[in-house]
Amino acid sequence: MIKVLICEPSYLVRKGLISVLNELKGGIDIKETASTDDIIETIGDTAPNIFIINTSISSILNMEQLLKDSNDEIEVVSVFNSPLNLDSSNTQISIFDSKSTLLNKLGEIIKSIDIHNEQETASEELSDREKDVLREIALGKTNKEIATNLYISTHTVISHRKNITRKLGIKTVSGLTVYSILNQIISVEDIS
Amino acid sequence: MLITAEMKMADLIHMDFQLLAVIQRIGIPLGFREKSIDEVCIENNVNTDFFLQLANVFHDADYFPKEKFLVFKAEWFIGFLRRTHQCYLDHKIPEINEKIVSLVDEIKDSSANYELIKNFFTDYMRELSVHIGLEEKTVFPYISALSECINQGKKTDDFIQNFEEYGIDIYLDEHSDIEEKLFDLKNILIKYLAPPTDNCKYNSLLYEIFRLETDLQIHSKIEEKILIPKVRQMEQEIKNF
Repeated sequence: MIKVLICEPSYLVRKGLISVLNELKGGIDIKETASTDDIIETIGDTAPNIFIINTSISSILNMEQLLKDSNDEIEVVSVFNSPLNLDSSNTQISIFDSKSTLLNKLGEIIKSIDIHNEQETASEELSDREKDVLREIALGKTNKEIATNLYISTHTVISHRKNITRKLGIKTVSGLTVYSILNQIISVEDIS
Repeated sequence: MLITAEMKMADLIHMDFQLLAVIQRIGIPLGFREKSIDEVCIENNVNTDFFLQLANVFHDADYFPKEKFLVFKAEWFIGFLRRTHQCYLDHKIPEINEKIVSLVDEIKDSSANYELIKNFFTDYMRELSVHIGLEEKTVFPYISALSECINQGKKTDDFIQNFEEYGIDIYLDEHSDIEEKLFDLKNILIKYLAPPTDNCKYNSLLYEIFRLETDLQIHSKIEEKILIPKVRQMEQEIKNF
């Protein structure tokens, strides 16, 4: 499923974008926010494929900083409050754009993500390495301990954790423990 | 649709029965006859505008008039939030727990798995009551003391004795996310647990969890986006006393 996060102060523009996106393709998961409050958490929680943000907001943010923690590739689309040249790229849209322009630009982006996703879905299962990390998490180990036990850096542990949470849809340690027992990655005796 | 003061209270519930929760938590009893929202609110000493804003927030996820909310009295929010807590602890949480326990009892062969879910939820209940306890015993009394100071135009003895060292930031450091575990539970039930033959019971458990989750989201939004900024305002105000 394609996930889109819209960060746009104008209610009208936000709803307009949602209506265009819904016409392009059914089943897009769209989250919206009017302001940059908690934007880092929101990006982390939603893990969007496409991040649509108004330039009046993105210009005052450090976008690189904002996106550096998300290891997945995020396609950033900028919304301009002014008209754009005809040769503007697909990742630049204007509030003056016609319906057909918007459908074309956003449609191209969605198409490229769809192709990318198809190649990825095969790997939605946990990898062996991720299972190793999950076992350690379920046993209540800290990131540092996991890193030592598996001979990897804590940074790698954190990135494995993110992928595990994204693939399983489980965020908390106790939730991951329940999953591990249900799937025989650890047994009840291991934790008692 | 925007909810307005001249609408009949009974029609409001026909339109969106989830608003029963708002009506109950703001302290209004049922039995409305043909009275309008405004009439019912006046009768029950509830500020009509406060009720309208809350009802609209619960009815429409896009509606959140932060500025309008900030002018309402902190005590009104505390009353509302307290009743919400009570509703969680006395009804919603026990109901979900009962459903889990009854599922465990019914399933004999895979009951070990359900035992896990039961323990998971027991942990959650403990976490939630700690979270709520902290708000009820420390944060709300602190806010009441703050507003008493503002009313009297000076720092009251109660405030100096109990809260001189306290601040809303201390609370924010201690306070934990209570929605994540619920989110996990939902996913474990939907994706990873083999369902029992009695799907109806299983579904109704999931349904209750979804409803509690939505409710908690609005609840946290009111706490984080309105109550806390409001407290910061009050903290600024008494600095000058």
